[in-house]
This record gives sequence, structure tokens and C-alpha cells, in this order.
Amino acid sequence: MSESRGLHTKEFTLNVGPHHPSTHGVCRFVLKMEGEVITHVTPVIGYLHRALEKICENRTYEQIIPVTDRFEYCTAMSCNMAFSLATEKLAGIEVPERAEYLRVIMLELNRISSHLIWLGTTSLDLGALTPFLYAFREREYILDLFEMTCGQRLTFNYIRPAGVSRDIPPEFIPKCREFIDMFNDKIDDYERVLTENPIFIARNKNIGILPPDVAIAYAVSGPALRASGVKFDLRRDDPYSIYDRFDFDIPTRENGDCYDRYLIRIQEMRESTKIVRQAIEQIPEGEIRGKFNKMNFKPPAGEVYCRVENSRGELGIYLQAADKEKKPLRVKMRGGSFNQLQVMPVICVGHKIADLVAIMASMDIIMPDVDR
Amino acid sequence: MKTLIDGIKNLCIGMVTVGKHLFRRNVTVQYPTERWEMPERSRGIVVLLSDQETGELNCTVCMLCMRACPASAITIEYEQGEKGKRTLKDFIVDNTICCFCGLCEETCNFAAIKMATMYEFATEDKESLIWHMDKLQEMGRDVPYEKPVRKKPAAAKPAPKPEVKADGEKPAEPQPAEAASTGNTAADPAIANEPEQKPDNRKPDQPAEDQT
Repeated sequence: MSESRGLHTKEFTLNVGPHHPSTHGVCRFVLKMEGEVITHVTPVIGYLHRALEKICENRTYEQIIPVTDRFEYCTAMSCNMAFSLATEKLAGIEVPERAEYLRVIMLELNRISSHLIWLGTTSLDLGALTPFLYAFREREYILDLFEMTCGQRLTFNYIRPAGVSRDIPPEFIPKCREFIDMFNDKIDDYERVLTENPIFIARNKNIGILPPDVAIAYAVSGPALRASGVKFDLRRDDPYSIYDRFDFDIPTRENGDCYDRYLIRIQEMRESTKIVRQAIEQIPEGEIRGKFNKMNFKPPAGEVYCRVENSRGELGIYLQAADKEKKPLRVKMRGGSFNQLQVMPVICVGHKIADLVAIMASMDIIMPDVDR
Repeated sequence: MKTLIDGIKNLCIGMVTVGKHLFRRNVTVQYPTERWEMPERSRGIVVLLSDQETGELNCTVCMLCMRACPASAITIEYEQGEKGKRTLKDFIVDNTICCFCGLCEETCNFAAIKMATMYEFATEDKESLIWHMDKLQEMGRDVPYEKPVRKKPAAAKPAPKPEVKADGEKPAEPQPAEAASTGNTAADPAIANEPEQKPDNRKPDQPAEDQT
């Protein structure tokens, strides 16, 4: 019970979601409110559970790749990549050099497109319509690049065990270069609209501060962790594929509030363009897929865990295989969104209900990645 | 007061950027009247390809696409003739469960199945999304494709085919596997010809593992 200006308020339970525009999927928050201030948050998940891990157990290794596309719709490339890495590690498959470069190009373009979705929807959640339109316009360039390469805009089915499914068409490299050259100016545009915008700053600065120790305790990874000042990026700290050959920075910030998470992602988009530019300069000719028996691939028994850094943090795949079986025994996914949702009750307390939307948006949680 | 001026100044910076974009070329495509040109590799609906000269389907009933399909969207009905030669009776693609992954097209060694660039196939009822052989053939009439190097599609001849799309796959080994699966599925043609045989898709693999 609190009292102000003679008005009595008492604790009030409020449901946000499951269908709420700001939850980016179907997530429900049960809030305990004291007036307009949040005192307790309980995320309710499971609305998007599709039993994908179980579905994987009934598919051959080649058939699982389209299923991994559905793990997380924003960065399907990295899901393909994580599963391919796990399969390769299990069976000791070599990947051709050109395929590694193609993978890195696609992964980084996918990271940019994912961050663009984030930028667009976040600004929309905070009431700014313009950046949303700009971000989705640029994202369209990337999706066109993906479509001309692998035929699909979101469910790519591109990165496969032992390589990639198709070589890039001849017009890919010029178009990709054109995009990279143009894109840094576009990021400047977003920054001009948002970074100094007083409304955007008021909505984001000192909102949802995530201290580094809490972030580590909850295993938060990705941009949300780096915004809290922890310099941890799997591309640098546990390099997979050929990331150790590229020159790029891992941006970090100190405050760990929503505004820092925004700045980190903007900076990451710039770093990703750097990586793509280096990759298309260095890409060699050659094979794009190594030796892999598509229909009858039977790896030796064993278990592996492979992780990649996607736009939401650590994406890991645990894969357990029985001896000489076409289908895996167990596939387990670890996505960054789950941990970022778990930390919400800690960082939302004490903020207003409108800030919940900002915090949720800045964490870049997508529900298919949480539930699966 | 200072914050107010700063705020207005920064809003103006944003509005200048917005203003610049106001006079740029439109990016919107007015859909029903204008259409986006799909890239050649775009994965739309599944169609069956026919030989351009004879007009007959390229399909040789090797069943590889059916086994490759992760969603079990393809059902093939065939008649077992003499000397093990199979003739296609019906080829059913269930577009309601197709996940447009393109694995059927990649597996096919005979350029018989392809994901065309067409994407407009919305209907009013569910049944009309289940496409049979004649509809699939009709849709695939004008779809351009690269012919496989060996022109005459010899049925089920276990010779390693030269690669059609040169994407580094090794098509040599599926042929013996197909021969092995023939022993299982074609043993009883009456069962194989039943329309609902989706669980059969995974029969050649270990059935016990499906329950684990």
C-alpha cells in the first residue's frame, strides 16, 4: 500500500501478452504493479514450443538442416552453421576453403539483417516509425542477396555439413560490394535519426541496467553482455570457422542500459561490414562442398557441443549420435534469447511499465529461440 | 530552456535525414499490378519437369526425392512392371506440409523435380493444395531447366550420373541405396500403391528409432 496525493493504490497483477506487439512473438509477462511501477515480473513461456529438438531425432543429418532454419527465424544461417559444425566435429569432416569464406560472408550478412530487424522493431516499439522503414529497406538488399544464392529469404537451408549447398552466382560479389559500400552511410542515417534523439535517449538511457556480474550469473551473452562491459565474443574467444583470419573489433560499453545495447548493435553492424568486405576480397576459388554422404551419412558414436556467436549471443548445439545410425540420438539447442528473458525479472523491477517494452526490445528476445 | 533548444536542434537533424529520403526514388512495388522479378534460384512451388521434345515426365520413379523430403510431403505411387521396371501412377505433393527446403530438387539425378519460382498458389480450401501428377506436370511445362547430360532417362540404371548443377555433391552412391530400398518397398506393390503411405517413407531406416 502506498499513498500519494490521497489516492490509495494496492498491488495489482497485470498480464502483458501473450499477444502483444512488443513481445515479438508470443510471450506473456505477469507483472505485479504498484501504481505504474513494476515490483515483480514473471515471464511465461512455452507458447511457441514446436518440439523441434524431438523432430530432429527423426530426421537424417541432411534433413535436419531445414529444421534448424526454424529454430530462430532472424539468424537461420547461424543455426545451420552450428549444426553443421557439430556434425563436422562428430565425423571429422574437412570443409573446403571457399565454403568457409562463403559461410562467413553469409553469417555476417545474416547478423546485419538480424540487427536491422532489431533496430526496426525496437524503434517501432518506442514510437519511431521512420527507422523501421529504413532498416527494413536495407534488410531487403541482404535478403535479395540470400535469395539469389540459396533461393529463400528466411529459411535458407544453405550451410550444410561439409560446406554449403550452392556456389554464389556471378552477380553476387558485385552486388554484395555495392551493399557494403552503401551500408555504412545508411547506418549513419539511422544514427542521425536515433542516437541524438532526445525522446530516444529519454526512453533508453539508464533504463534496464544490467550489471556485469548479474549478466554473467544469468549466462547472458551477445550484445547484451558486451553492453555491460564484458568483452566476450565467441568469434574472438573461441574462434570457429575462419574468424581468426579477419581483423575486426569487439565493441563494448560500460553502463549496460538499453541505450548501450543500441549502440553496441549499431557498432556491430559496422564491424560485420568490415568482415564481409575482407571476406569478399580474400575469397578463393575451389570446391564448395567436401565429402559428405547425403542420404546415408552415419557418423561414429559420440557427443559434441558446438557453439557460434549469433546476433543474440551464444548459439550452441549439443549433438549425440549412436554408432552407425542415420539419425542423431539427441539434439539440444542453446539460444541466447532464453537467458536474456531470464534476466528480465531482475532488471525490470523498479521501472515503469512503459520501460518494460523498451527493455524487452533492447534485449532482442525472439520467442522461437526461447521455446523451440 | 537549454534542453528544449537542444531537443529541437537534434530533432531537426533527424528531420533533415528524413527530408532527404522524402525525395528519393520510391522502393515500393505496387504488387498486383507490378511484380518483383524472382531470382532464378528462388524456391517456390514444386513442379514436375517434362522432356521438352516428347512431353513426357522426366521422372524415373527412383523415389530419392520421397526419401529426401524432411516433411514427407511427397508421395509416389507406381506400378511394378516386369523386370523390375516401374511406371509412375501418381505423384502427389502436399503443399500444406511442404517446407520449401529444396532437398528433393537437389537429390534428383534426372532433372525431374524442381522448385519453380512461382509463389502464388493460394486457394480457398485445403484439398486443392494437394497436387497430383497432372497438375504438377502442367505447372512445370514452361519452367526452364538444365537438362542432365545423359539425355534419355533410362530407368533405374545404376550408373553414376555426371553432375547436373555442379554443386559438389556426389551422386554416385544413392543408386545402390535405391536398389536396397526397392527390395523393401516394392515387395508388395499393393501396399506401395495405397495413397496414404507416408509412414512408409522412413521404413528403410530403423523403425525402432522413431519411438526413441
